[in-house]
Amino acid sequence: MQAASGKKRKSVSYSHWGYIFIAPFFITFLIFQLYPIFFTFRTSLTDAVTWQKILNNKIIGFENFRQLFDPSSLVYGMFWGSLKNTIIIWFFNFVPQLGLALILASWFTDARMRLKAQGFFKVTIFMPNIITAATIGMLFMSLFAYPMGPVNTFMQTSGIGNMPIEYFRSVAWARGLISFIQWWMWCGNTMIIMIAGISGINPSLFEAALVDGCSSRQTFWKITLPLIKPILVYNLITSLVGGLTMFDIPHMMTQGQPDNTTNTVARFIYTQGFTGSNNFNMASAASVVLFGIIIIGSLLIRFLLNDREPRPVKLHREEKK
Amino acid sequence: MKKVLALVLAAMMLVGCMSFASADGEKIKLVVWSFTNELQGMIEKYYLPNHPELEIEFQIYPTDGHAYQDKVDNLLGSNATSDEAPDIFTLEAAFVKHYVEMDWTGDLKSIGFTDEELSTAFPVMAQIGQNAAGVQKGLSWQSTPGVLMYRASLAEKYLGITSPEEFQAKVADWDAFLETAEELKEKSEGACKMVTGSGDIWNAYQYQRSEGWVVDGKLVIDDELLDYEELCKTLEQDDLSQKGGAWQEIWFAGMRGENETLCYFLPTWGLHYTLKPNCVAGWDAENPDSEENIKNATENGTYGDWRLVDGPVAYSWGGTWMGINAAKAATADDAKKAAMHDLIYNFSLNEDWLVQYAKDSGDFVGSAKAVETILANGGTPNPFLGGQDHYAIFANAAALANGSLMSEYDSDINDLWDKYVTQPYTKGEKGLDECLQDFKDQVKATITTITVE
Repeated sequence: MQAASGKKRKSVSYSHWGYIFIAPFFITFLIFQLYPIFFTFRTSLTDAVTWQKILNNKIIGFENFRQLFDPSSLVYGMFWGSLKNTIIIWFFNFVPQLGLALILASWFTDARMRLKAQGFFKVTIFMPNIITAATIGMLFMSLFAYPMGPVNTFMQTSGIGNMPIEYFRSVAWARGLISFIQWWMWCGNTMIIMIAGISGINPSLFEAALVDGCSSRQTFWKITLPLIKPILVYNLITSLVGGLTMFDIPHMMTQGQPDNTTNTVARFIYTQGFTGSNNFNMASAASVVLFGIIIIGSLLIRFLLNDREPRPVKLHREEKK
Repeated sequence: MKKVLALVLAAMMLVGCMSFASADGEKIKLVVWSFTNELQGMIEKYYLPNHPELEIEFQIYPTDGHAYQDKVDNLLGSNATSDEAPDIFTLEAAFVKHYVEMDWTGDLKSIGFTDEELSTAFPVMAQIGQNAAGVQKGLSWQSTPGVLMYRASLAEKYLGITSPEEFQAKVADWDAFLETAEELKEKSEGACKMVTGSGDIWNAYQYQRSEGWVVDGKLVIDDELLDYEELCKTLEQDDLSQKGGAWQEIWFAGMRGENETLCYFLPTWGLHYTLKPNCVAGWDAENPDSEENIKNATENGTYGDWRLVDGPVAYSWGGTWMGINAAKAATADDAKKAAMHDLIYNFSLNEDWLVQYAKDSGDFVGSAKAVETILANGGTPNPFLGGQDHYAIFANAAALANGSLMSEYDSDINDLWDKYVTQPYTKGEKGLDECLQDFKDQVKATITTITVE
């Protein structure tokens, strides 16, 4: 008996302190996130239309979901159309954003280039991210105003165009401007994360590459890129989540116009829930579907891009004899 | 722990004593909610000094987004009789109809208003403060009739018109309005436009309808609205408007005289708070009446160049109403009911006070009788309008505008109408039938509580 207990590893557990330290977050999370999420799931199954029914409603099953997936219903076209818009706008924002962020990040971290005034460039590129999206939306709305606004006036006085262009009635311009703003705002942020990722790579790898006579291009493709893959995956997933829930810029700038081509899923949910008769049930159902789409998208990215990471090893403190 | 408990108990006792003290003073306590400090300022300046028996607690929640409505919905919907719930609350034009249709907004007759008193309000403001069954639930201290404002110098230069009466004949209805726009284009060789854009006309034109958006729970598209679309399309396609919208740069540029725009459709507040401060670049908002400012505005801007006429239709745009909390009014004793009645009466219908207030502030007040008195006392000649009396023109519009067209769905449906019909149709992107179908689909999908055929 004694021998057996002497062999048994004894360990002092500090884990309960961990739980205490994370408790404030989890309590807030339970009240302000998890409960609302369950409330949304529940509301999506009810007939909660108007404020009066938000608490006194009855469960009617999957009727709201049926409408979202039934091509003959009115909301079908509106919902899936808005998803299509969201994906188009997100794609034209994300591809150039990631591309440019990667190029900038590899330049800023390249030992051979030794760029001067790096801090200045980093701050300048990051700057748009500090301003709130609503302000930027208003700014671009007045910049591209029709028939009289800074851009139109400039085009006419400089002789580039002779007629004012109504930018927000053109599908390409409206979508393009939203993509551009998203790109411009988030490029600096992505770049900083990339720089952090690249800085985390062991410099001896770059030195070895240099000694072996790698060109900058080879170093980038063969060393930098594979080693920052986890950061890329993180970036793709956060950008996907942010992109699919895009709301403020289209809402401020175009209100989903022209002809609903810049109406995003989040705007569809907003118009259902917070305008008209307040169709909280339909808004919740659409949110649940969007939730599903985001989860599937994120998992897809993870499985396609991620190498399996080694499992973290559980460490025990050995008791000193 | 004990210390904390003792402190809490002591604090509670103190609060308890204080509330007893105020009950002993036998003051009548009213809770007033609003979204600006305008009413609070008026009550503190004019009313409280003469009513020492009142104790008024003000709560101001700005209307940012939905903040004010959320507060009201939350408290009146769940806990309407609590101490913090308002006895009296103010309602803005954008959501007044929503609240007068609600049961929790009380009938003003329940606190002692009589038909005789109510009849002295301008009909348009009274109608907007009524629910569909005609129960009066809101009253306003101002009324906000709208008129057509035009630039006399441009009218004289291109149309040879020298008096507002002549100009009124040119814009007596929408057909005449369009003819004048075409004449203006021809004579000015396209330099001068009739109006900034379709959005500018809408606030007036919607009063041309014979029925509102929703009748007996069904969506109604009045025939006048189709005429509105044709008018807007002609204005847009034939280059008769600036093709801009209200509140945009080009709209303000026309006010400053930087482009030649003849007409603006604006209500009472639009004259004082929009047109006047924007009549010149560099308007001195600190000293608007200083000689220098007026000289600058006259020489470099459009000060003194504006005239008012009735225009094609009498309309109203904006306003603030006072409503009462039905649950608290029902449990109030007679003294409190009388106090609530007296306060609302004073600020909406009390002729003596309104005449005084109009003199002090220049506001256009809500009682027809008070306006009559002001006009009888010589009116209000306005140098900004070249000496024309704005009160006389506004009084006319206030008496004629039909407030019964307004409904609780207006802000949503107006928005959808502009987005899905006016914009694509007038810019020639889609045919009218297609636009109307889009519009109906959108109304059906967003407002599921009404029927759309």
